[in-house]
Amino acid sequence: MKTWIYIFFGIFFILLAYASWKSYRKNRSAEEFMLAGKSIGPILGFLTFSAALFSAFTFMGMPDFFRNHGIGAWTFLAFSDGIMVFFILWFGYRLRRKAREHNFQGVAGLMVSSYGTRWAGVAMFASAFIFLIPYVAIQIRGISIFLEAAFPGMLPSWAWALIMVVMMLVYAEIGGLKAIVYSDAIQGLILLMVIWLIGGTCIAAFGNVPDLFKAVENVNTELLSTPGPEGLFSWQFLLGSMIAVVMIPVTQPQLTTRLVVVKNLASMKKMAYAVGMFAILVIVPTIFIGMYGAVKYPGVPTSEFLSNALLFDQAAPVAALAIVGLFAACLSTTNAQIFALGNELRSLLRGEEKRAMRITRISLFFFAGVVMVFSTLMSDELALLARVSFTGTAMMAPIVLLAVIRKTKPERGVILISSLAFVTYLLSLAGVVPDHLGALRLDLALYLFLLVSVLLLTGLKKFT
Amino acid sequence: MKKSKTYWKLCVILVIALMVLAYTPLMIPAGVYKPMVLGIPYTLWTSFLITALLVILTYIGAKVHPGSDEGGED
Repeated sequence: MKTWIYIFFGIFFILLAYASWKSYRKNRSAEEFMLAGKSIGPILGFLTFSAALFSAFTFMGMPDFFRNHGIGAWTFLAFSDGIMVFFILWFGYRLRRKAREHNFQGVAGLMVSSYGTRWAGVAMFASAFIFLIPYVAIQIRGISIFLEAAFPGMLPSWAWALIMVVMMLVYAEIGGLKAIVYSDAIQGLILLMVIWLIGGTCIAAFGNVPDLFKAVENVNTELLSTPGPEGLFSWQFLLGSMIAVVMIPVTQPQLTTRLVVVKNLASMKKMAYAVGMFAILVIVPTIFIGMYGAVKYPGVPTSEFLSNALLFDQAAPVAALAIVGLFAACLSTTNAQIFALGNELRSLLRGEEKRAMRITRISLFFFAGVVMVFSTLMSDELALLARVSFTGTAMMAPIVLLAVIRKTKPERGVILISSLAFVTYLLSLAGVVPDHLGALRLDLALYLFLLVSVLLLTGLKKFT
Repeated sequence: MKKSKTYWKLCVILVIALMVLAYTPLMIPAGVYKPMVLGIPYTLWTSFLITALLVILTYIGAKVHPGSDEGGED
């Protein structure tokens, strides 16, 4: 298998080096470096959006989610993605219009300029920082599990994380967003190919799809329906997840930025339905891998299931490609997120452009360092951690939504309301605030609070 | 443009209807996995169909959305 790993890594690094070199020669102005000149076409646009969205969390978290909690995982992610891509048509149009009016440099900067107060930008940046750091750390944690299994005893997990982070920084510093977009495209294609190869192997182990589900039925029928064996997929959990996922393009700056850097609205619309198709294509095989795991590896730790299902039960070239695919997925997603945090910071900075860029570049190192430390502290519940990240940032959605809906200056009270919901959610994660309000999950209660508060603040008439 | 707006609104209504339907006991009945289609459990095949419908509606929505880079729909 090692020979295959070297071959695939060799090809991957050559492609990365080429993309980086190509981007370096062309793009050196601040806008070119941070926003790829706002000239991304529909194909690269959908690949970069998909790659930033589907990553190690999809590759590893979703099979494990299906294995432990059953088929409700489809509604949790794929159905929610279906709503999200339709929402992009509505939101993306308004966002791009606002971005044009305010010379978009980043979401935080756009909020400062829309609300006329720095607090709007600071609130957006703080929420992104607090919840993107654990989300990026999930990716690093994911690849560390995998690399430790592939090369047992070779390096400690922190060393794998360090290699990853250094590579990511070098790549981002050389090529900027354009290089990241190219690496996303490479990663998206590798991910799709490898996940289907592994999914196919998992089906083949049982003969066909009906026999795979028959085997699951014999092991645990609760996996075949909601709410699943542990009762996780209640309608409240699924609805809360859907809202959090739909708000990803609104509140996660790496994705919001991608809606703006696509060269025109027509390309963005094409990108929306292409991402929807990609979502279905990439999540379907994770069902098969998860169901395979439910039969072959019930109850074993996540790392044992993943290393067996994705590596040791596969033919050598497929296993090698899985390692390279996961590495690529992790690299491009972490790159996108760290870079987005840097861009958000830059959009908040005042003064000379050169100084702002210098601070931004230094901040990339800082963010990467924090991520590395976090990655050693994360648990194996990749999908649930991702949901926490989505939910946390979703609390700030009213700030962005109101800014893009309103033609005039939006009400500043929404910054306070969103921040209150955000802090309450943080406190619930810390165990200070209960996670339910009576029978209602806290995240749903907070969404309801946000909706009612914003309606009261702005007046129903202005919304209709 | 007017026709376009009507089709767009129709798409929005259909998406909202599918969204509401997806969280009713009709789509996610507790502990029920039959009838199966091609060996696939009930909630999985129904929610797969709805997801595919959403992507189709997104495709149609992209074609009929009345907005343009120069302005257009509010």
